[in-house]
Amino acid sequence: MKNKDPFGKELSIKQLMELDACTQCGECLKFCPVQEVTGRKEISPPEKIRMFRELMKSTRGLKKLFGRDVDTKLLQDFTNAVYECTVCGACGQSCPVGLFNQRLWPVLRNEVVKRGLGPVGAQRDMPQKVRDTGNPYNDPASQRFSPWFPENVKVAERAEIAYYAGCTGAYCAQPMVRGDVLVLGAIGEPFTMLPPEEEVCCGFPLFITGQFDMLKDLTKRLVDAYVAKGVKRLICSCPCCVNIMARDWPLFYGGALPFTIRHISQFVQDALKQKKLRFKKGLKERVIYHDPCYLSRGVGLIAEPRFILKNIPEIELLEFDQHGAESRCCGAGGAGRKVYHENAIAMGRLTINEAVEKKADKLVLSCPACYEKVNEAMVGHDKQIKIVDIMELVSELI
Amino acid sequence: MGTILVLTAYLLYLLFCFRFLIRVLLWYKAVKQQAAIREAHVWSCRTVASTAIEVLFFTRLFHTNKLLWTASWTFHLSLGFIFLRHTWYFMNPVPELIIFIQPVGIAAGYVLPLSLLIILIIRIAGGRDSYVSSYNYFLLAALLIISLTGLVMRTYYQPDLIAVKDFITGILIFHPDALPGSVLFTLHFLFALLLLPFVPFHLFTAPIVIFEANRREEGLGMILHEK
Repeated sequence: MKNKDPFGKELSIKQLMELDACTQCGECLKFCPVQEVTGRKEISPPEKIRMFRELMKSTRGLKKLFGRDVDTKLLQDFTNAVYECTVCGACGQSCPVGLFNQRLWPVLRNEVVKRGLGPVGAQRDMPQKVRDTGNPYNDPASQRFSPWFPENVKVAERAEIAYYAGCTGAYCAQPMVRGDVLVLGAIGEPFTMLPPEEEVCCGFPLFITGQFDMLKDLTKRLVDAYVAKGVKRLICSCPCCVNIMARDWPLFYGGALPFTIRHISQFVQDALKQKKLRFKKGLKERVIYHDPCYLSRGVGLIAEPRFILKNIPEIELLEFDQHGAESRCCGAGGAGRKVYHENAIAMGRLTINEAVEKKADKLVLSCPACYEKVNEAMVGHDKQIKIVDIMELVSELI
Repeated sequence: MGTILVLTAYLLYLLFCFRFLIRVLLWYKAVKQQAAIREAHVWSCRTVASTAIEVLFFTRLFHTNKLLWTASWTFHLSLGFIFLRHTWYFMNPVPELIIFIQPVGIAAGYVLPLSLLIILIIRIAGGRDSYVSSYNYFLLAALLIISLTGLVMRTYYQPDLIAVKDFITGILIFHPDALPGSVLFTLHFLFALLLLPFVPFHLFTAPIVIFEANRREEGLGMILHEK
């Protein structure tokens, strides 16, 4: 696609209306984590929308009639702005007209990808890596489960329940997925998993970076593989995977999925209610729970992790000032945590700082990307706190 | 001068229509089913009612910035009354309702520039968290000029209202009458015309987007919690 081709071709009617509906009031700047750590208004949400409107105008309407070229600097500025964003959706959550930015930004990124200007940095090789190894990190499939999978947990060949570990959990946040499997094992219901070479990327990193070409294929591969194992319920702990599975897989698959998608905290909550799982030990500590953006804002899952934590004997649960649907991004979002490392570290440290200021003993996370980046943000930081994944914590107490 | 102003009025009105037409074509040609945009949608009386309340009272803005909400809501409300009051100059005979709201419209004429000034101050003094585009400055400046010239005309230098009404209705029926001999009116009318092609489209799309946001938010709980 050439730069002179009309901008906005990838947008739905609702998204075109959203671009117009932005009043440029700037209220979202107060909630944008990237603004909080950079203070650069040129990459703020209303500025991105203003720039995209300009790009649309220059390739449509009167300016197109008069043969004006696309401003290449504007296009480059827009590309930088749309990729430096963590796509956490806090701007949309606080928007006075309710823009759905968790879905608008990836589609605007797709407009840039179609022009060969995006994605940026390590994101560029993701499709090839996913093609080669099944994951965006280019790690061998043989190492997907073996380094962390607990020996005492049995995986059924076929079962109605399946567990999807996800690439980030399996390669970058292994205590988290190990905790998941230990808890599933303790609940005792038979569950199955795909072989490591078949459990490929769910598509989320490609989607979030605006690279949509492989999404249908990946979805079909995974859905067909789970159907072949007789799966009726697919459980996952990664908020990003759960988000794309529940929201978008049906579209890529071409209809309703033959199984339901559940976040692991829902499954564990049910197990606690049905007494299939009990805490054998208590925890006399103050813990603070961080809501992942794609779990709380993304799919509305807010109560279940809190139910689990409150069920731990003697525990004291604290809340961040911005929590639930209003939670602040930890910095790992938008598949930019390696590209915009400094921003991500600064955002991670804001989360750590608030947890320490609230005198929490542990910072409880529920997302593998958060887990990796906030742990990284802790290195060399003057404030220190013990970071733990929610299922890692549960697995230590059952 | 009158002829130029009348021709400008028709030209700018055409530009506004062209801009609107381009938007409608764009919406018509938009992708129907897009990658990664499935939403858990609901349609209920509650969604319609909450949308109506949000559109009328800007409740989302109220939650984020109460001072901006006060200024913004007052601005939109007073602008609405001023528009209604101004229909006096477009209609013959004038409906009872328009006669009835004249005092409110006149009061709104005093409130409008004040609310605009507050919005401008909030934007400028907002510091690190504030954002103003040049387009927003243009809108604010044009609205301030229009409202202040209107206010001065109303308070000190009233033009010949019969001539104003003949001029306006003349334009509407494509039979333009002479321009009233008032510089203030000419300025007031000219800036109102200049604003026409730049009318912010959020006036038309924001209610739809708010409605969609409410449907999405009501459906959020159903994405993972469906039976």
